[in-house]
Amino acid sequence: MSEDSPDKTIDRSARLAFSFFLSSAGLWLLIAALFAYLAACKLTDPFFLSSCEFFTYGKIKVSQANAFIYGWGGNAIFAVSIWILARLSQAEVRGSVFLIFAGVIWNLAITFGLLGILDGHMSGHEMLEMPKEVWPAMLISYLIITFLILVIHRSRQIKETIAPQWFILAAILWFPALFLIAWHGLEINPARGTLQTVLSMWFGQSLIWLWLTPVALGAAYYLIPAILGRTIDKYYLAIFGFWCIAALAPWSVVHHLEGGPVPMWIPAIGTVMSIAMVFPIAVASTNFHATAFLDLGKVWNSLPLRFVIFGTLSYTVSSYIGVVFSLPAVAKITQFTIINEFHFNQRVYGFFSMIVFGAVYFALPKITGREIPISAKSFHFWTSTLGVLLLLLAYLIGGLTHGVLAGQPSLPWSSSVISSVQPYFLITKFAFLLLAFSQLVFVVNVWRVIFPNPFAKLFVDQKEAGA
Amino acid sequence: MSEDSKMSGNLPNNTQLADEEIVKSHVELTKIKHEPTKNFLMAPLVFVFLFGCLIFVCSIQLAYSTNYFQLHPPIEVVELSPEEKEALRLERKITSGEKIFAARCASCHQANGLGIEGQFPPLAASEWVTADAGVIANVILKGLKGEIVVNGKTYGTSAAVNMAAVPISDREIANVSTYVRQAWGNSAPEVTEDLVSELRSEYSSKQDQWVGNELRALYSDSFGN
Repeated sequence: MSEDSPDKTIDRSARLAFSFFLSSAGLWLLIAALFAYLAACKLTDPFFLSSCEFFTYGKIKVSQANAFIYGWGGNAIFAVSIWILARLSQAEVRGSVFLIFAGVIWNLAITFGLLGILDGHMSGHEMLEMPKEVWPAMLISYLIITFLILVIHRSRQIKETIAPQWFILAAILWFPALFLIAWHGLEINPARGTLQTVLSMWFGQSLIWLWLTPVALGAAYYLIPAILGRTIDKYYLAIFGFWCIAALAPWSVVHHLEGGPVPMWIPAIGTVMSIAMVFPIAVASTNFHATAFLDLGKVWNSLPLRFVIFGTLSYTVSSYIGVVFSLPAVAKITQFTIINEFHFNQRVYGFFSMIVFGAVYFALPKITGREIPISAKSFHFWTSTLGVLLLLLAYLIGGLTHGVLAGQPSLPWSSSVISSVQPYFLITKFAFLLLAFSQLVFVVNVWRVIFPNPFAKLFVDQKEAGA
Repeated sequence: MSEDSKMSGNLPNNTQLADEEIVKSHVELTKIKHEPTKNFLMAPLVFVFLFGCLIFVCSIQLAYSTNYFQLHPPIEVVELSPEEKEALRLERKITSGEKIFAARCASCHQANGLGIEGQFPPLAASEWVTADAGVIANVILKGLKGEIVVNGKTYGTSAAVNMAAVPISDREIANVSTYVRQAWGNSAPEVTEDLVSELRSEYSSKQDQWVGNELRALYSDSFGN
């Protein structure tokens, strides 16, 4: 081996774990896309697959969310945070074997969990629907990965830390905390009455706000300066944004209980805290966009950055929409409608996934040393952008229609309310198909780089045999 | 603003930043003590102002939506005008009467109030029903025997019910007769509970049913001919 730059050495040490987590994340992404499409089909045609017990709407919908959050989200978080933390710490990734061992357990646990859901052993808690037998396996494998990520961070060269490290490390540590609280309050020592509902909802929403969101924000805080070659504009605000998310987000999520059978102060606190969430959202968008707008040409020309800025823009716009929807006067219309689907999908597709795509396209060539063709990346960008926009607009407009019509008791339910929302379900079905296609493009892009021409040897052998 | 752009201006702008540089330059940024400048730094001031506004809005929102920190939502009391109260009372009386009619009367007089020709006299458009309130109240209190003529047809060949032996309260009689007097196109004034109890005590010694002509004589003013 000749003299390599330290970055190259770090990339080589991260290669095995990164490739493993990324390829399994890709698989889960495709599975989730399939489930999403099946669920969308069932909304437009209730008799689709209705004779098959495994594929009732309730099971498919839940399987999709779990495959997406834990399968795609979890694996992508491991891959992205291992690499970014290793690069920022200037430390090599150690214990790749243990990382992969834990990753295999994690993926097996999700596989069995999803099979359990499809077989009807679903638990009734939001985002904890997988049967509780797989929870210990998930927690233990997660803790092993957390430990190895912390080892990377501990062996960092520079003592001071910066924004991407705070966000990613916090997310890595918050997940087991959330998981243990929910596990304790729902299974070990079950809370009684309303509290159980509150806890289950809180866990499901906090998972998105305290696990997926900070990792995506951290990745953006790293990628924007790294690609643009500038420091983050108004960087002194970042620490304020970080602590605001840590302090406010777990409170703000309970506004989703507005109108539910819970004490009045719970949704009221939720509403207040979501209004206060304006600060961290403003801080993050000021940081990202003030930096990016200094060099728009470069943002447009670099595909990874285009993905990231799409993600941060979507984060800003839709978080503000979320704040508006948390106001009781608005929630009166939007609560219990398909607007909930809008919130979920904008967060996991429009924000988290887009930033992860950007991070992967930035990291993968450095790690494997092989470039992804620009046309393939560009194709992926446009199909996923179009799919996400179509999906979110359909859910937003459809949800408002749904809410306004459902609020009028004089209207007959099926002939006027359902038939007005039906066209939007058709659009989302089309959007999910488009997204599934774009995700297939992504996975093919990634796999072609990770496993370049797996049949090469086969063809060579045949040629030799022919010759 | 100016400090920030100066800082980023120092860095090589066209190349990607190396990771070590990213960490170092950002750490550097947090250590900068801003020199006192002629103008204020606007961004922190704007943030402080916005923060203040939002805390204000938030506290109003919290006080408002928790109903001033009470545990239970306010009980909404709707004040009705006297006319609305009267209309509501009558509506309830008629609904109750409808139920009593369906349970105890409709088997003979039919749900549409037309009775069965030759056996059970009709109640719809019957002058026996729409005449003075005392007529229908008395009939329900004691029953009716012998022949009567309703809308030109003769009834009374079948056995009549001895209503004196049927347990039915004054209020029930008032409700059901009010319903009957206002259903199927009938539009006679309501029957009050007081009237029924008055009649019950007045004829308390009477053991057998009324005969049609007896009643006609008693309330001759209200019958058409």
